[in-house]
Amino acid sequence: MARKTYNIAMVSDFFFPQPGGVESHIYQLSSKLIDRGHKVIVITHAHDDRKGVRYLNNGLKVYHVPFLVIYRQATFPTVFSFFPILRNICIRERIEIVHGHGSLSSLCHEGILHARTMGLRTVFTDHSLFGFADAASILTNKLLKFILSDVDHSICVSHTCKENTVLRASLDPLMVSVIPNAVVGENFRPRDYPAPSEQGGGFRAEPSPRLLGPHDMITIVVISRLFYNKGTDLLTAAIPRILENHPNTRFIIAGSGPKAIDLEQMIETNVLQDRVEMLGSIRHEDVRDVMTRGHIYLHPSLTEAFGTVIVEAASCGLYVVCTQVGGIPEVLPSHMTTFAKPEEDDIVAATGKAITAMRAGKIRTEKFHDEVKKMYSWSNVAMRTERVYDGICGTISEEEFYGFDTSGYNNGSRIRDFALIDRLKRYYGCGIWAGKLFCLCVVVDYLFFLFLEWWFPRENIDICPDWPRKPPAKDKAQDSMKLAMSRSTSSVRVPKLDR
Amino acid sequence: MLTTAPRLRIRRPSPTTAEFTVTTLPPRTLPLRLLWLLLLVLRISLSLVALLILYARWVQERSSFGGATAQLPSSSSSPPPPPLLSLDRLVFALDAFQSTPAGTLLARIAASVSLPVLLPVAAAVFYALSLRVHKEESLLVLRGLGVQTSESPATYLAGAATRFIPTEKIQDILVNEAFLGFEVRYYLVVVVEGEENVVVVFPGLLPRRKIVETVWRGVRECLYEGRGEDRVDKSGG
Repeated sequence: MARKTYNIAMVSDFFFPQPGGVESHIYQLSSKLIDRGHKVIVITHAHDDRKGVRYLNNGLKVYHVPFLVIYRQATFPTVFSFFPILRNICIRERIEIVHGHGSLSSLCHEGILHARTMGLRTVFTDHSLFGFADAASILTNKLLKFILSDVDHSICVSHTCKENTVLRASLDPLMVSVIPNAVVGENFRPRDYPAPSEQGGGFRAEPSPRLLGPHDMITIVVISRLFYNKGTDLLTAAIPRILENHPNTRFIIAGSGPKAIDLEQMIETNVLQDRVEMLGSIRHEDVRDVMTRGHIYLHPSLTEAFGTVIVEAASCGLYVVCTQVGGIPEVLPSHMTTFAKPEEDDIVAATGKAITAMRAGKIRTEKFHDEVKKMYSWSNVAMRTERVYDGICGTISEEEFYGFDTSGYNNGSRIRDFALIDRLKRYYGCGIWAGKLFCLCVVVDYLFFLFLEWWFPRENIDICPDWPRKPPAKDKAQDSMKLAMSRSTSSVRVPKLDR
Repeated sequence: MLTTAPRLRIRRPSPTTAEFTVTTLPPRTLPLRLLWLLLLVLRISLSLVALLILYARWVQERSSFGGATAQLPSSSSSPPPPPLLSLDRLVFALDAFQSTPAGTLLARIAASVSLPVLLPVAAAVFYALSLRVHKEESLLVLRGLGVQTSESPATYLAGAATRFIPTEKIQDILVNEAFLGFEVRYYLVVVVEGEENVVVVFPGLLPRRKIVETVWRGVRECLYEGRGEDRVDKSGG
């Protein structure tokens, strides 16, 4: 049976050329979806010299919509001004699914709202955790609730993130899937890893363990932006104590941020210049080279939705010491990590344990790369995302997609229909005042849509020719696997099966 | 009714020449020709009326100055009309028109409007009457020589704006897409060597993708005949 393929538009403020996790997530996911025979375009805003329509590798088409950027690469939230251009793009590219990324991207929120008005299926991927208490969070949460009350399906990068999103936006938990991030294994090879060409035939020699003598230097690597939420204060407090307890250890710290000055002060007061190296901010391509200089990766973050960087560290063959917060405990199997509570004493103790274990040769870090490669791959992420698309488009039945519990919150179907009155009902439940405001927004949006249909008639919009599509992936066997996988939603770590 | 959506007309006077014209002029049918004639008559008569009003005003202004009255033949014994086909005869005819009922009506209109209003309005009317109804933009391809773009001007009074690009200056001809207002449009561009900006063909009309593609194929065929294998991907811009 030929698989159904879709035309998908990824909408987000965050995309290349700026660096970041969401950006590379969108790119990798799109690229793998194209490999599976779908058509994917990316809609983002214009950067300095990136304007208009561009093509990236693999026939990925990017629309850089000219918009005003206000704060940290997020565009000004002009609720309706994006609609005409989005409608034009969706019609000319024959888009069926609009997939928004990032809860701080107003382009994504607007895209989802307008796509629903146009009668398209929508998916939202949340990449971040939020609090509930401060004013900014309350505002963002309200906005998120507005958008997600009508979205067809949401995707979160970890179970903690899912829990957070479900609470923030009062969602039906079954309408939120967990699909973790992945890493490009080839870019994060450990030092002395045999080149892939040698793996062709026959068995590869089992890598011999790296044994460390009692006086060998152990290097601890920290790569993170130096912000409060990344736990830089903990790091500042813990480093002198760790170095005091363990001779023959040293730190490499890469990254920049407002807390860098505290670290520098700590180095000055404790005279640790020869044992702590600060590299400043480094490019993403160089992360691997910095990581392979070390033995242990320390990640003292206070909040983290997924923590791609610890997967990258493990892939580079580093033993990981990290705080037990957010989605981090889900990410790596226990033999690759030592967990600590997010407090100074515990981090010092955990790092000490890790150093002792390394010296004792108990940890086979040379095997980490192959294991991580099996756990995290973008083609697997694409496969699971595809299943979400199948589910919302009705390619696989509702019972199959949502499992045993076929009734939604109000004993209604979970398939969101496009009738305006049903959409208004969903929005109205958002709050006493907010509900009415949201309804107003949706009604205005709908009227605007009717106006656009009249002012820019559909038949006057040219249809784009498709980039030559790849043959859709035929994987009946994997289908059943996927089903099993997503049934047992607790298993985040799914072995990579294809190839 | 007088214009259509941009449509393509191709002329091939010789095997090595092709002209691609994109025009909003609908195909000529009898009712359309009649309509054109009517419009022409309307334009001419409206311009005439505007001219006559201006003339009447001029006569009034002239008569308001004392010196000018001497020029006017105030005697009741009308002199014999000047010979036909002379400037005096024209002035004579205009003066004669001033005394007809229509002439007095125009004179009254002219008198009732102040001069700072009358002159710009008259200029605007003349401009509006000289505007072209349809637009026409064309691309002439001459093998071995180059391509020439031309676009019809806004009014009947100006000539067509043309630009010739010799073959050795043409780096490539391709179809691209870009944002225009609230839309994404396809357009044909000529990449010219040594110029920072590309030359957009059919810049005013920006026809639909089908036309643009036809022209693109035609141009490449005509310009690089026999070497058509080196076609680049059309959207590779």
